[in-house]
Amino acid sequence: MSTSTAAPPTVVNFTVDGRQLSAPPGTLLIDACKRAGIEIPAFCYYEGYSLQAACRMCLVEVEKMPKLQTACTLPVMEGMIVRSETEQIHKARKGTLEFLLTNHPLDCPVCDKGGECELQDMVFRYGAGESRFTEIKNHEPERQWSPVVFYDPARCILCYRCVRACNEGMGVGALGVTNRGVVSEIAPNMVDHLDCDECGACIDICPVGALTSNTYRYKTRPWEMQHVGTVCTHCSNGCKTTLGVRNDEIVRGNNRDRSGINGEFLCVKGRYGFDVSTNEERVTSPMIRINGKLEAVSWSKALGFVAEKFRSVSTAGGSFGVVAGPHLTNEELFYLQKFTRAGLKTSNLDHARSGDLVTLLDALSGKTDALATSDDCYNTKAALVIGSDLSQQHPFLAFQLRADVRHHKANIYTVTPGPVREAKYSAQSIEVPVGGEFDALRNLTETLKGEQELVILFGDSIKGQRVRDLVEWASGLGIPVKYVCLVDYSNSRGAMDMGVMPNLLPGYEVDPHPGMSLGQMLSHETLDVLWVVGANPLRGKTLASKQAFVVTQTMFLEETSERADVVFPSASAYEKNGTVTNVTGQVQRLKAAVRTMGAKTDLEICGLLAKELGLAVEIGVWSHDVVFKEIHKSVRGYNVPLPILITGGAAATNPVNGRVAVDVRIEDIQSAGDTLFTSGELGRYSKLLTSVPEFPGALYKR
Amino acid sequence: MFNEPHPDEVRIITKRFGLPNSASIDTYLAHEGYVAFMKAAEMTPEAIIEELKVSSLRGRGGAGFPTGLKWSFIPRDNPKPKYVVVNADESEPGTCKDRLLIENDPHQLIEGCLIAARTIGCKLGYIYIRGEYRYLIDIMDKALAEAYAHGYLGKNIKGTGIDFDLYTHSGAGAYECGEESALLESLEGKRGVPRIRPPFPAVSGLYASPTVLNNVETFCSVPAILRMGGQAYADLGTPKNGGTRMLCVSGHVNRPGVYEIPLGFSMQKMIYDVCGGIRGGKKLKAVIPGGSSSPVLKADECDFPMDYDNYARMKTMAGSGGMMVMDEDTDIVKVALRTMRFYAHESCGWCIPCREGTTWLRKILTRMDEGTGRRADIDLIHELAKNMLGRTFCPLGDAAAMPTIGFVEKFREEFEARLRETVVPVTSPDQLIAIG
Amino acid sequence: MALITNILNNAAAVAKGMSVTLVEMLQPTITDAYPEGPAKLEERYRGVHVLQRDENGLEKCVGCFLCAAACPSNCIYIEAAENTEEGRISGGERYASVYNIDYSRCIFCGFCVEACPTDAITHGHKFEIASYNTSTLVYRKEQMLTPLPADFKPLVVKQEAPSAGH
Repeated sequence: MSTSTAAPPTVVNFTVDGRQLSAPPGTLLIDACKRAGIEIPAFCYYEGYSLQAACRMCLVEVEKMPKLQTACTLPVMEGMIVRSETEQIHKARKGTLEFLLTNHPLDCPVCDKGGECELQDMVFRYGAGESRFTEIKNHEPERQWSPVVFYDPARCILCYRCVRACNEGMGVGALGVTNRGVVSEIAPNMVDHLDCDECGACIDICPVGALTSNTYRYKTRPWEMQHVGTVCTHCSNGCKTTLGVRNDEIVRGNNRDRSGINGEFLCVKGRYGFDVSTNEERVTSPMIRINGKLEAVSWSKALGFVAEKFRSVSTAGGSFGVVAGPHLTNEELFYLQKFTRAGLKTSNLDHARSGDLVTLLDALSGKTDALATSDDCYNTKAALVIGSDLSQQHPFLAFQLRADVRHHKANIYTVTPGPVREAKYSAQSIEVPVGGEFDALRNLTETLKGEQELVILFGDSIKGQRVRDLVEWASGLGIPVKYVCLVDYSNSRGAMDMGVMPNLLPGYEVDPHPGMSLGQMLSHETLDVLWVVGANPLRGKTLASKQAFVVTQTMFLEETSERADVVFPSASAYEKNGTVTNVTGQVQRLKAAVRTMGAKTDLEICGLLAKELGLAVEIGVWSHDVVFKEIHKSVRGYNVPLPILITGGAAATNPVNGRVAVDVRIEDIQSAGDTLFTSGELGRYSKLLTSVPEFPGALYKR
Repeated sequence: MFNEPHPDEVRIITKRFGLPNSASIDTYLAHEGYVAFMKAAEMTPEAIIEELKVSSLRGRGGAGFPTGLKWSFIPRDNPKPKYVVVNADESEPGTCKDRLLIENDPHQLIEGCLIAARTIGCKLGYIYIRGEYRYLIDIMDKALAEAYAHGYLGKNIKGTGIDFDLYTHSGAGAYECGEESALLESLEGKRGVPRIRPPFPAVSGLYASPTVLNNVETFCSVPAILRMGGQAYADLGTPKNGGTRMLCVSGHVNRPGVYEIPLGFSMQKMIYDVCGGIRGGKKLKAVIPGGSSSPVLKADECDFPMDYDNYARMKTMAGSGGMMVMDEDTDIVKVALRTMRFYAHESCGWCIPCREGTTWLRKILTRMDEGTGRRADIDLIHELAKNMLGRTFCPLGDAAAMPTIGFVEKFREEFEARLRETVVPVTSPDQLIAIG
Repeated sequence: MALITNILNNAAAVAKGMSVTLVEMLQPTITDAYPEGPAKLEERYRGVHVLQRDENGLEKCVGCFLCAAACPSNCIYIEAAENTEEGRISGGERYASVYNIDYSRCIFCGFCVEACPTDAITHGHKFEIASYNTSTLVYRKEQMLTPLPADFKPLVVKQEAPSAGH
């Protein structure tokens, strides 16, 4: 896929501190040195964003150049001789740091960044212990710009990282610079407050403590935390998030270690949406409805009560309906479907489906390598987004596309019912009402034929026959095409892969005895048991069956639990071990960061129920690694390399393999249409998410 | 508006100054106006550039880069549009020549732009005038309207097939925007901060297109060169330093003003003859030869032929021609403070050494001037300026550092004397806070 | 002969020993009468910690956790919170809302005192803290904080001059 035309030299040789190095032409000296293990300090330089050369820390000596040169703007050149550690350079860096510290307050003991501050590190390494600055420092009071972002102008060293992260990385451009000279400072787009994604990228990227987040401010110090790398539990993009935990409390989320598929990217949910786990409305004890009121009871009583009911309904030949949530782990989903099919002898099993992957897999039967991963979204030469406000619903995929445009000059095409942020940098952006997508696609056909490859990302408006039409249309383009079927939540994809569907077994094997779908269960008038695990199907819907015995496993007393006869307190995704599969089919490991008193994981609750029903031997051990072994062995596409998974990587699954011949009820497929600040059932229990101003994309005002 | 000409002056670009209604196109046309452009229209671009190279015209904005060479860098086969941009953001303290050129002879500038446009094949130009020169924008706009009315701007100018549009654009009062890349940023409607170079404006300037960007005086010199021929122009000055330049003399001389003198003119003669000597018969103390950015010269250094190379030999620079003469009563500490207050105020804040350094120096110098200086401050000033020199993003940092280093090195005894005369004991806690 | 020498040697030894006793008898007593009387402690004795206040009566501790980080026995527990305009506790931006030292683990090494950037924690002279109940050995902030004198009047906090700026 090389695009190089002539063939300029593919490698440039140069010398740094007496070491012979080589790098591809065009590589910046600072990057080349970093790769060779030679550290050149910098504040303003940030890999992936535009160059500034403002901090003057990366000055190096280059032979035949009279002045010190900035390594961050200097591409390596053949035969270049560089010295990165000399007396003169040390003096220059020390001088620059002395200048920086003139107006930087020395309030490290109270600064949140103290301990992980790049300025501290630099001063420690190059700086002077004493300052000759004896004048009055400039001081401006700290400001709050949004429910998330605080800015302390005095601490700001004006490296413009935040400005670039917001503008280039997030495509928002909410930050700029105001004033001039020594009183210049970063300014928000609404004069005194921010109207933005509240993603907190500016806060994370800040090398000093100028930008701080409301959730973390003054809570702890960096060295006081344990860091737990897990996966964000909100949307389906599956961003790795490293949680800072102190005293069994999550105090911050970020991904500064750039582990995982998302590098440093996180949206507002990934960084700040962890407070759902500490909401005081959490259910912490099993409850049974006694005289119309839910009363707290012991685990053994509740489990015994449910088992008794299940047993009697089962004996009487009654009907069970099982609904799983899209935030459960693969292990829980797999265990639950096994419980339902083998234990309760029914396939009345479903989850709230948000994308028609089933039809896509069927339509792609026979093709290999037709599903795109998140890396493909970054590396592709062209991408087509159909019917999704990507920046709102799939912030990480949108970030990948933006980075693709910035770094690879990719062409992005959008066909959406409303205005989307992607239009700002897309090659072509078309707005059509739902249903009119194919007219727009036909207009794009000729343009797209000129591309070298294409990744198509489509939302829930393309389902059923329209998926087949899309695949057929794309096959006619004559270029390699990969697909992403967009789904809503952290494990919506896993729920399909694990066979939590009435007509499909794990790995998209056709169930010989199909059961009822979610819609059918809710409208079934004589349903005897509705068992809801981590979901809220009765939000805005009613249960037709008056006699149904409803059991929920939940974190909060939401609409379904209000109708429930028994409620079990379940653990949040921050309190679980297991695996989840993201929208692009990459499996990642979930690691328990904290514990919440009273709650058990859904896997454990299901296991205890199985034990109570005498089914434990049949269904198996309720330990996540044992269940994962079984998934790894038996579910199509999940035979992933274990070392990747165990070390916290993302292993791509690829379940495309032959026909998936089932009827898809397209009325069951509906995206919840979350925005950046909503997260289905979880969002409303996050104090932070509900406090940030909500500016949903015009596309999803429904 | 314009001082009486002196017989030693060689008036090439100021020759129409003082004519009645000199800014009007009629006066201009009556005095060889647009002759050079008509000549240029007949010439090939290469020939024009060659003529400029022969003339050894060097940029009059400060850096003194050979103009012919600069124009030859424009990639004429580049498919992007090309631009001519006039830097009329004349903000260097002590410099006031561009305003006279625009005020008295705006059509000369238009003609210079036309020739530049003809040379590089450009259809659009901008005159970036500093915001404080509000009244010049009106004069320039009037001249542009006249030029359009007479067919010297617009489509197919005078049947030559050349199209050229020229607009004025107002700055907003930032010294930094006199730096060419910051000027381009500002012209594009962005924050006026400098760009990373390379690429230079000749390759990627306004809207990332090839751009010729010169000072007003440089453009104004071009028509004269084409009229009189490059060699004749060059012969006015010294080798490699062709032609005449405008010198803005201010300070303690009897006849301050703007004079057009040939390059290589003696500075001694300039001060004592052309400008009539030091005011009140006092002794000369120092001269800032090329605007506030240039290092100061002591009285005994002020006798050399003023051309670019000799300025460099004296370890100072020709700068933008703002020559400030100071008599023996001048307080150098105050001069240093006033200079640094200017740079601290004008630093754009982009890079650390300039942003923090200028303000720090301003604070130290203020303290010194107020009488709370310390012995270590003198070396500190010197070292901080050295720390800034050559390490800033754009020349503004150097412009602040160089004169400061000059003041301290050449007039150290004045700084020391200031310490001796003002020893203020520290008595109150307030002072402790102030001193640290 | 040998016998006489022996006797003389013994007598000399007794005299030498008794001379020390006699000299010491005449010296002032240096043994403390503790616990009958008060213990005499040196100025730099490292006893139970004292949390200091500044001249305005505000807590000096800004909740920076450096004492906890320096503590080799990990006996300091802190929770920090932000000062508000209405309720200012410390001079800095934040203060320690919880400050506990577990004296069942403290080894009185003084590292915390050395680590403190605001001189907020010092060693006092209290040392009689033995208890039959270890839970009483966890001292809270209130137990260690210097009390405000009853007639305390805070100094007026002088506003720092606003930045010169431009």
